[in-house]
Amino acid sequence: MEALLNLWHATGIANFTFPALIMIAVGCLLLYLAIARNFEPLLLLPIGFGAILTNIPLAGLSDPGGLLYYVYHIGIDTGVFPLLIFMGVGALTDFSALIANPRMLLLGAAAQFGIFATLFGAILLNYVPGFEFTLQDASAIAIIGGADGPTAIFLASKLAPDLLGAIAVAAYSYMALVPIIQPPIMRALTTPEERQIKMPQLRTVSKKEKIIFPLMVLSLTILFLPAATPLVGMFCLGNLMRESGVVDRLSNSAQNEIINITTIFLGLAVGSKLAADKFLTIETIGILVLGALAFSIGTASGVFMAKGMNKFSKSPINPLIGAAGVSAVPMAARVVNKVGLENNPHNFLLMHAMGPNVAGVLGSAVAAGILLALVG
Amino acid sequence: MNIGELLATAANLMATGMVGVFVFLSLLISAIVLMSKVASRFEQPIDIPARAPSIKAQGVPDAHIAAISAAIAQYKNKQKL
Repeated sequence: MEALLNLWHATGIANFTFPALIMIAVGCLLLYLAIARNFEPLLLLPIGFGAILTNIPLAGLSDPGGLLYYVYHIGIDTGVFPLLIFMGVGALTDFSALIANPRMLLLGAAAQFGIFATLFGAILLNYVPGFEFTLQDASAIAIIGGADGPTAIFLASKLAPDLLGAIAVAAYSYMALVPIIQPPIMRALTTPEERQIKMPQLRTVSKKEKIIFPLMVLSLTILFLPAATPLVGMFCLGNLMRESGVVDRLSNSAQNEIINITTIFLGLAVGSKLAADKFLTIETIGILVLGALAFSIGTASGVFMAKGMNKFSKSPINPLIGAAGVSAVPMAARVVNKVGLENNPHNFLLMHAMGPNVAGVLGSAVAAGILLALVG
Repeated sequence: MNIGELLATAANLMATGMVGVFVFLSLLISAIVLMSKVASRFEQPIDIPARAPSIKAQGVPDAHIAAISAAIAQYKNKQKL
């Protein structure tokens, strides 16, 4: 009889706690979003599964000695995984649209206002009882507005590891929601005439320029913002491997195998941070609200900047492309293209939107570097 | 630190951050413009002589030339019959 009782105590059913069950349900919700709704499946699937694994009673996957514990410490605590992903993103990014029209960097800069406005908003939220965000917490939450998963995880792991799970889930969920969040804001801030503006075709960019570009970005970062060199450095390495054309094998590995393997473990490790005691807090709700705010403000400020530039520029600039300044490559650029086509079926904005889009990646990496330098 | 002081710091950070991002990316703009100018200056003298002598360099791939020649040959054969 005693043996039977011991066996009962070793089952999951006897050991479930209510919060852990809720978190397993959250994990299942993420799996549903990934599989049935196709929301950022590459990340939400491993994150959702990680959330289920970490909340299994008795298995202790996230306790010292457990698999997820090691994966988290090796990959995220050290900042290695987000940086490896950034190398892959660099190898996947084509900067020709930006080199052909470098002024687009201003749009990528303007959209970062979403980050800094949210930082202010997060501190403002401290007036609501139950919220106690420090400046570090607020910075890590604000970076959701950069719409760049690896950057958000990198910064959160350095500034606010406790909030990492919620921040990563918010960042990836909102990136998946870009086609829903952005168009209403874009339509509200522009007139139909503005949305129909056609932009001149971009010039072709020589291979030489493409090779010099990553080296130049790296040199500027070294000179002015060394705090951003982990992110920018890995990004430039990936891009140089792509553009140099002499290490196709390495570039292909960075774009495929390395980024894929890292994504699996990054997702699992982020999921392991979705433990009940860390996630089922009022702060998580605050983070979700602030994340949506960050995206919206970033989109709006990008559009406003593009409108301003259109007024003063010789060649016309369609204000819609400002919305692509919030990285989220290439989703945001596709959304711009789609909204543009609604108003003029012959106006393809995709290539023009790729400029601010990749500028947004650089912009959020720079913003992360500034936050690390000032707050970290 | 109370909330008021935190807010002041956050506002400060917002201003510094935005200025920082804009300054950095503006520097990058001027660097790109400069680089494109220099690169285009080096490009031309190498490109023009390379292009002039051969017809192939005008961007017609060999496969296309082969296909077109085959089509012409076929057409001529048909005409004979």
